[in-house]
Amino acid sequence: MGKKRKRFSLLLTSLMAFSLALTACGGGSNNAATGTGTNTGSSGNGAASEKPVELIWYTIGGPQKDLDKVMEEVNKYTKEKINVTVKMNMIDFGDYTQKMQVKVASGEPMDILFTSSWAFDYVQNARKGAFMELDSLLNEYGKGVVDTIDPAFLEGSKVDGHNYAVPANKELPAQEVWRFNKELLDKYKLDISGVKTMESLEPLLKTIKENEPGITPYAMVKDFMPILPFDYIIEKMPMAVYMDTKDYKIVNILESPELKSSLETVRKYYKAGYISPEVATTTSVDDLYKSSNWFMDRAATQPMADNLWSASYGYPVVSTPAGEPYIYNWSVMGSMQAISANSEYPEKAMEFLNLLNTDPVLRNMIDSGIEGVHYEKTGENTMKNLPESKNYDMPTFSLGNIMINYLNEGDPENKWEEFKKFNESGVNAPLLGFNFDTSKVTNEIAAVQNVKEEFWAPLMTGTVDPEEYLPKAIEKFKAAGLDAIIAEAQTQIDAWKAENNK
Amino acid sequence: MKKTSGFIKNIINNKVMLLMVLPGALWFLFFSYLPMMGAVIAFKEYRFSRDGFWASIIDSKWVGMDNFKFLFTTNDAYIITRNTLLYNGAFIVLGLILSVLMAIVLSEIVNKKLAKVYQTGMFLPYFLSWVVVGYFAFSFLSSERGMLNQVMEFMGMESVQWYSEKKYWPFILIFVYLWKAVGYNSVVYLAAIMGIDKSLYEAAMIDGASKFQQIRNITLPLLNPIITIMTLLAIGKIFYADFGLFYQVPRNSGTLYSVTNVIDTYVYQGLKTTGEIGMSTAAGLYQSVVGFVLVMTSNYIVRKYNKDSALF
Repeated sequence: MGKKRKRFSLLLTSLMAFSLALTACGGGSNNAATGTGTNTGSSGNGAASEKPVELIWYTIGGPQKDLDKVMEEVNKYTKEKINVTVKMNMIDFGDYTQKMQVKVASGEPMDILFTSSWAFDYVQNARKGAFMELDSLLNEYGKGVVDTIDPAFLEGSKVDGHNYAVPANKELPAQEVWRFNKELLDKYKLDISGVKTMESLEPLLKTIKENEPGITPYAMVKDFMPILPFDYIIEKMPMAVYMDTKDYKIVNILESPELKSSLETVRKYYKAGYISPEVATTTSVDDLYKSSNWFMDRAATQPMADNLWSASYGYPVVSTPAGEPYIYNWSVMGSMQAISANSEYPEKAMEFLNLLNTDPVLRNMIDSGIEGVHYEKTGENTMKNLPESKNYDMPTFSLGNIMINYLNEGDPENKWEEFKKFNESGVNAPLLGFNFDTSKVTNEIAAVQNVKEEFWAPLMTGTVDPEEYLPKAIEKFKAAGLDAIIAEAQTQIDAWKAENNK
Repeated sequence: MKKTSGFIKNIINNKVMLLMVLPGALWFLFFSYLPMMGAVIAFKEYRFSRDGFWASIIDSKWVGMDNFKFLFTTNDAYIITRNTLLYNGAFIVLGLILSVLMAIVLSEIVNKKLAKVYQTGMFLPYFLSWVVVGYFAFSFLSSERGMLNQVMEFMGMESVQWYSEKKYWPFILIFVYLWKAVGYNSVVYLAAIMGIDKSLYEAAMIDGASKFQQIRNITLPLLNPIITIMTLLAIGKIFYADFGLFYQVPRNSGTLYSVTNVIDTYVYQGLKTTGEIGMSTAAGLYQSVVGFVLVMTSNYIVRKYNKDSALF
């Protein structure tokens, strides 16, 4: 026994000694690395003839085959212009939030990163300290951005009075439309001019259900929510203020008569078979779009969206408004590029973002690839994709100002004017500019989130009877602490209201 | 002086053994002991610092036990703990019985070639990811195009909305889990059976023992130590639910939550939007501490009755 114990203690001591040596080593090399990093940083700022600065950029989208090839060209251009090269890393849509949470939390070196209201949440991460505050950088190195993009973007994306990211100049308001498969509309000579509310869809859905057994009349997914006259504190959480609110009082939308009557309509449609019985677990209806086995659905629009949809599905799609264009927090923050808090070259990063949002050559290179390889120009501001473009197909909206992009074949000449018109038509939602700070109610949010996951999809899609489940949901939300969250949000809104003279 | 020379002598005497233990020790050091320091995040409100990960940990504010609260404050706390414990309990008991049964049956098959085929067939599901298994289950249970509903309609029965009827799900989940895990676990027992001295069976046969008596009096007693060890290890993980099983297979259907929500899915749902690392670390720490206590207790009990079967 004694011998055994001795051996064990020997093992422990050698382990400990080893680990100490290791941590010492690790620490040493770490320091060395950061040391040299800052050195090159300061010298890089000194003179343009110095070695160019390499910016590390993380952005959203499926990694592209020709990314490195294009970046080589981009780097030639940016090196000459601002003495910067970029290393772009792409992370696919589904993985972006989670992977970036880990990368940012563990302090991985990066300079520029994509953020938004729907992927790697902008407001929360700004508050947690993930991004660098850009107020002075924008003034000093980002003049072009400030002058070019719609001022509503910079104003609307302020968190606690400061800018933490450069928004992409694109469509500003969000508007929902009913979309229809035009072939079916024509076949049954259906008229969509009278359609506006959910209720007004009934005769159309009925015709399709009776005559086309293989078609899903309403292609709905589990995220569905009826259009209600509310501006939400947190998206898809049952607390909101009325769109026409004067006193900014938060209501629990589950208790509102508007929600109740909408849910009854959805339930009626569900029971009539207009909606797939599996809607509460359906996350995508792409198969229906591909096979054109759908009649209608609802989607967020932008100018000329019908053309886009028709082109991507390969058959005509038409739409008619389902709501008004409102400018929400989340629509303003739909696509932004932030500078990481641990960036070693924030000034250079800002210069790069400035160039990206104002220089058509750089912007189109990053968006469409190399001229003559991935696309060719057909006029001053127009281009045509070449077959190679399938190896470099980027999500345009995520990278910056879309209004300096060359027009595609088939795009109307006034496309960007239409965008500007659409942006002007938007009405500010009441909570535009208010961002709820959840740090005091994180426990309640976690609990409420679970209740939401349990009830939301079945209720909103009509899978369960609202008569029975709505009271149950209200009770469970309350038990999880919804009222505490509402009270905290109300305090913050009142303070914000007083500050901004609303 | 004497002590140092003893230490060095000890190393020289045991250098082969120590060298053999080194890779494993290093692995544990890097992947188990070093990351354990991160447990401190459970007591902090984690905020990013521009000077990297360690600075973030040090600069973040201490919040005591606040991060643990969300696990216990709601009514759901009872449901998720109950679900986690009961499902894992069922998995341990049923998994053990079925695996041992399968191992014995496989070892008794005379045609060894066929036995290999069966074994591989049972082994295969273990390598499928839960996402794939989830779609397998969906192809059976889909209400519109699922095989099960089509068969039931063909036989004149009412079709069932499987993804919104919670009463079936405890059975479905246990069945799917066993289908996936039993093949793998039975291999462990099969290996132990193969190691049993054949002369024991020969002697028993000469004495006129039936197959059943042989199994009862030779195979099972000799399997006892490995059964105990496997079970003790499983008990250590009783607070960890298999996330893939409980998230992918029921397709995250809200109406099923009262029978499918377990600690791991609850933590995921609650924190996926806020991304509070402190709270998720707290949940993980809570699970490991409870698992640790359970292993120690059950090991203590095992040691009381049978010293040789205990883990340590």
